[in-house]
Amino acid sequence: MQSKRGFHLRDIIFLALIGILFGVIYYGGDFIYNALTVALTPIGFGPMANDITMGLWCMAGPLAGFLLKRPGASFIGEFLGATGEMFLGGQWGAGNLISGFVQGVATELGFTFTGYRIYNWFTVFIETLTTTLVTYGWDWFRNGYDHFKPSTIIILLVVRFISVFLFSGLLVKLIANLVDRTHLIKN
Amino acid sequence: MNPSWQLLLVLIISLEISFTHRLVANLILIVVAAIVLLRYHLQFKTYLRLLLIPAIPATALAVTIGFFSPAHDWWFAAVIASRIYAYVFLGATVTVTTTPLKLARSLEQNAHLNAKYAYGVLAAVNLAPRTISAIKTIRASARMRGIQLHFYSPILYFKAILLALRWSDQLVLAMESHGFVENQSRTVAEPILTSISDWLIVVMSIVILQVLLIAFP
Repeated sequence: MQSKRGFHLRDIIFLALIGILFGVIYYGGDFIYNALTVALTPIGFGPMANDITMGLWCMAGPLAGFLLKRPGASFIGEFLGATGEMFLGGQWGAGNLISGFVQGVATELGFTFTGYRIYNWFTVFIETLTTTLVTYGWDWFRNGYDHFKPSTIIILLVVRFISVFLFSGLLVKLIANLVDRTHLIKN
Repeated sequence: MNPSWQLLLVLIISLEISFTHRLVANLILIVVAAIVLLRYHLQFKTYLRLLLIPAIPATALAVTIGFFSPAHDWWFAAVIASRIYAYVFLGATVTVTTTPLKLARSLEQNAHLNAKYAYGVLAAVNLAPRTISAIKTIRASARMRGIQLHFYSPILYFKAILLALRWSDQLVLAMESHGFVENQSRTVAEPILTSISDWLIVVMSIVILQVLLIAFP
């Protein structure tokens, strides 16, 4: 991996591949999502499936941020991953690009707020927070969350934060620690 | 239609219907997209998938808004449900009518996207079939040693990352040995043309959409 700032062909292929490989790993996520939706709809929490699985969908972005430690890495990682998934037959087609864009901005903001200097558990917390809030704000418009009961709105937000923290925060940091120990990616 | 223009149009429409709540416009978009999809004579299975998969999130949102929300707003529930179908159908019109190669070429030539992005992502997408078997291999070899790798196991992702590192190295070498140089001007083997009709379709569609959004509920 080149150490210069900016992205080279190798980084771009690497980030897109990570997005696709992760997409394959949590391909089962689609099934979990659909099963959860069916199970939760009768009690009025159908949309919660989206919040429970949100952490999974956003993993590629923060991971790219922690691995490459460069401005833009998180956004490009998330967006390229979404582009790759679009052609893998993801159920949303070109809509993947829009959610990829939103999730990319959401995860990138966390690294922006820590100035691209700190990459510790504090960054994990900030990045989790921005990812939760920005993706939630997007769903507020797109999925009509503003029409839900106030209690539902709060529960969905909390569930989403937990999911994003567990997958896009905790798990991503553990993976990044493993990769850092190999010294294969030099920054 | 030119793939870049088509993608742009679909993105503009998807974004606009995200922020407006109009049932008629959504329904018309669904019908138009369905006609486009039908003209391509896809497999029956694909049509079935397109119909069934959005049904789950659409029903969930509609039931939550209609039954469990204070306003019991069934009209809004219908708007949200139809919007999900509009997203999926519109999105499918892009992926069904174009190939990754054609889109990459078009984005490079027509949208002036940097070639390293267009072809870098294309290289990764072309490896997609191998990624599926690679993940299976990682899981199987772990099982042989009595380790079960779940979708929440860091080791599984770690091994996938090592794979991505190796593959990206090899792909870069392959592309460079075929004469790909970053940030160099390139000649075009297969030009992707933009015609006046592409412009007209995009402009007309957007104008018609505004009329639909304003005039109908």
